[in-house]
Amino acid sequence: MKQKKKEIETEDTILDEKKPLDVSNASSDELVLESDRPFLERFGRGFVNFWRNKSTIDTLKYILKRLLLMVFTFGIVFVVCFVLIRLLPIDENTGMDDKEKFYLSMVSKGIYRRIENPDGTYTYEVMPILLQFVNFIKNLFSGSDHPFGYSYRIQWLISPHEILGSRLTPTILMNIYTMIVSVPVGLGLGTFMALRKNHWEDHVLSVLIMLVISVPSYVYAFVLQYLFGYVWQIFPPTAASSTVGYFSPTYFASIILPVLSMCFGSIAGYARYTRAELTEVLTSDFMLLARTKGLSRGQATVRHAFRNSLVPIFPMILGEIIGVLSGSMIIEAIFNVNGVGGLYLESITKQDYDVFQFVSMFYIFIGLVGTLVVDISYGIGDPRITMGGGK
Amino acid sequence: MEKEIMNFNTEASMDIKSIPSDLFVKKENNENLHDQAFETKPITYLRGAFMRFAKNKASIVAAIIIGLLVLFAIVVPFVSPMSRVDPIEYPNGFKDPNFTYALPTNPINKALNLGWWDGTEVKTGIPKNDLDMYELDDSNHAPIAEVVEKVEEKIGARIQTHYTLRLDSYSTGCKEINVSQEEYEKLVAYEKEQGIYHTDKGIMKPLRNCGSYLDKYQKQLEDEMKAAIDEGVTPPVTEDAISKIIDFLEGYYNQHQRVWYEIVSRNYSQNSFVIKYDANNKVTPIYEMNGGEYVYAKDNLGKVTIRVDYYDYFTFHNGFEPRFMFGTNSAGEDIFYRLALGTRFSLLLGVGISLINFIIGLIWGAVSGYYGGTADLVMERVTDIISCIPTIVILEIASVQFTNNADLKSAIGQGGIIVLAFLLAFVYSGWIGVAGTTRMQFYRFKGQEYVLASRTLGAKDPRLIFRHILPNAAGTLVTSSVLMIPGVIFGESTLSYLGVVNFSTSGLVSIGSLLNEGSHAGLNAHPHMLFFPCVVISLLMICFNLFGNGLRDAFNTTLRGSED
Repeated sequence: MKQKKKEIETEDTILDEKKPLDVSNASSDELVLESDRPFLERFGRGFVNFWRNKSTIDTLKYILKRLLLMVFTFGIVFVVCFVLIRLLPIDENTGMDDKEKFYLSMVSKGIYRRIENPDGTYTYEVMPILLQFVNFIKNLFSGSDHPFGYSYRIQWLISPHEILGSRLTPTILMNIYTMIVSVPVGLGLGTFMALRKNHWEDHVLSVLIMLVISVPSYVYAFVLQYLFGYVWQIFPPTAASSTVGYFSPTYFASIILPVLSMCFGSIAGYARYTRAELTEVLTSDFMLLARTKGLSRGQATVRHAFRNSLVPIFPMILGEIIGVLSGSMIIEAIFNVNGVGGLYLESITKQDYDVFQFVSMFYIFIGLVGTLVVDISYGIGDPRITMGGGK
Repeated sequence: MEKEIMNFNTEASMDIKSIPSDLFVKKENNENLHDQAFETKPITYLRGAFMRFAKNKASIVAAIIIGLLVLFAIVVPFVSPMSRVDPIEYPNGFKDPNFTYALPTNPINKALNLGWWDGTEVKTGIPKNDLDMYELDDSNHAPIAEVVEKVEEKIGARIQTHYTLRLDSYSTGCKEINVSQEEYEKLVAYEKEQGIYHTDKGIMKPLRNCGSYLDKYQKQLEDEMKAAIDEGVTPPVTEDAISKIIDFLEGYYNQHQRVWYEIVSRNYSQNSFVIKYDANNKVTPIYEMNGGEYVYAKDNLGKVTIRVDYYDYFTFHNGFEPRFMFGTNSAGEDIFYRLALGTRFSLLLGVGISLINFIIGLIWGAVSGYYGGTADLVMERVTDIISCIPTIVILEIASVQFTNNADLKSAIGQGGIIVLAFLLAFVYSGWIGVAGTTRMQFYRFKGQEYVLASRTLGAKDPRLIFRHILPNAAGTLVTSSVLMIPGVIFGESTLSYLGVVNFSTSGLVSIGSLLNEGSHAGLNAHPHMLFFPCVVISLLMICFNLFGNGLRDAFNTTLRGSED
């Protein structure tokens, strides 16, 4: 048996020597199939080859083009959002007594103009939107300590980027915990389903996944909160306040439920995607070759199928890593988490426009960067894809 | 069969002689040769799609559930008794403040006394006084409390007794209400007709006279105090304490309108009381008497004050029993009825917006895909930019802008503003998906020979687009637009749940606004307010997705015959 395996291997090598399968990427002394290498090494090689490749200039051009396009898109979206938000009526009643400070801040942002009356009093007048925009850009680059304006209703006269900075930690923590749980579980479930395709396990899990993907996330957030938080009282039903420290065990225990409710959808998504990719790869010809070489089913699946199916999944994970900065509005609202999503919602319900504008642009920016990174990483993870490869 | 053989053999004339001659048929001169017509009916594209759809059991079930939900949303708002209440009395739809947060109930569970979904609730830590109040209740629907458990707790030397009771949330007991003279006369006529006028079973109950009882009790306390002072002992109460006791008791009587008997302070305490039993262990009523007769009605500034069994009075007044299948909310509005309204609103919004998106996306995608080149490039960049701005930003800006526009508000009202804002927000970027699919389909078909043939024959662009390419792409496009409906419903419910749009004064209800109400009322305190909307929206989502997937598979001709 052993000998037979050896024979096949040598045959394989001979075959490789005659016709190297990966001419473009492997130099002549490397006779290993590209898909035989560990994934990270492959990724690294892809990265190295990417720089050695003759088409690197093309690729760089492509990335540069995408970057410029992104900046261009972001600029247009920013102008549109700016104009739309500035068209909203300004509510001078901020709930704080200090009206003078409000006016001064509005003047310093260049939204109001101060006009001195002959009797020594002042009146304030709204500037045209075009001038407001010019003032905003000036303010942004003048090194002022409030480059993005002021919050009036969430935190009196604090700059939106400071508020956002203080709200980032819980959101990032929650998203990272979610990823730590959902990526391995999702990939594992997907692999299991692909291997047991058309068996009862696969059918049951498929139905479950369909249910989880269809049912809105807030529904199982409510179910988890009600059962675990209120009825059985296993976990705290809402997130602890930030005073206990974001890294303390108390805080961790209190965000288990929101993390769990985010995990459901995420796990279902990964599992479905992995299953689809893996079933496709498992039926391809090179799997048959791998089995003929003498690899066991497990070896073939892990070394060849799973790694190949990771090619499209890896960018997905990468995109999610960038997405950890943006919080889920609905989960944060239900569990009272003091995060970015909560801030966004607060800025909408309280109509705090500077914060609203800043957080909106933050979300849009993350979305754009995420798309860009995902698109570029497709080419890096899979050497078969040439970026910007023309028609 | 014979003809086939004949045709075959003309090519190989060598073998003709070897064929037995009886296989040949003589052809008459005037007879034309034809292919045999199909004996079975051809399976058209739609029929094939329907057959494939019918094989998918899950999709069929989903379609039936969607049908039931649509029926629920259409029928209930018309047949529900809530829809027929007096619009002058209830301008914003039916509500009754005496039935706030009533629990869900249904007649079957109620009759079987199952203990769940029958409007009852188990409450713990009820003191003896409240238990007595429920047991002594003089309404027509007593007894209303069922003792589940008696808990004796030792606090220091004293033993405190609590009760765990199963309470019916629809038993409001007796209430003192003011009604118009007309209404009073109608009630009297009704009671006389039923033969329950001024009897135990009547809707109207004798009025209480708390004032005269409390005066009597105050005098008694003062007498006790004076007697103690006369005897030279420390008086049990002071002047000040007496007025506080009386205030407390008066407050209690006002708060608990079903208490119709005398209560006295417990050991002269200012905040606890006991029920006063006479020698026969009976309570003393405090009903208002006039010449040995109970007083049932009193004139009060042109209105009539009566004390009624509220459950029966409600039935008499509104024409239906106060039994709410899905319970009521904080304002005492029926959730079953409102859920039907909300489902109707959500479905209409979902279908309407999907239709608009479908039309816009179709035109955009057709132009971009058919013409290609620079037009396509520019149009793609435009969709890129449009899709960057989140729906929530557009919705927020639109709703604030519209709400502040007084002309618009007076023209279409708050409800119209909400609909318009949703329409704008979801149409704004919702069509991009359809446009993308259409564009793909056009790229797929526009290079094919039949299009070229048609063009050669002189067909113009619109004809090629609408007569030749679009019908081919129809299946894919229709399916993608069906899958868009749950997306819109989900988006709407999420945004309304978050409170981005304020439904409160609009008179409109959506599933999302019901969820918002429910979460404000508290998940822990009133889970029924969230439970039913959640069930409906989950069913909608699951069924639309299953149904849409079924449609997609049905219209996918590559799956033809794959299951056989």
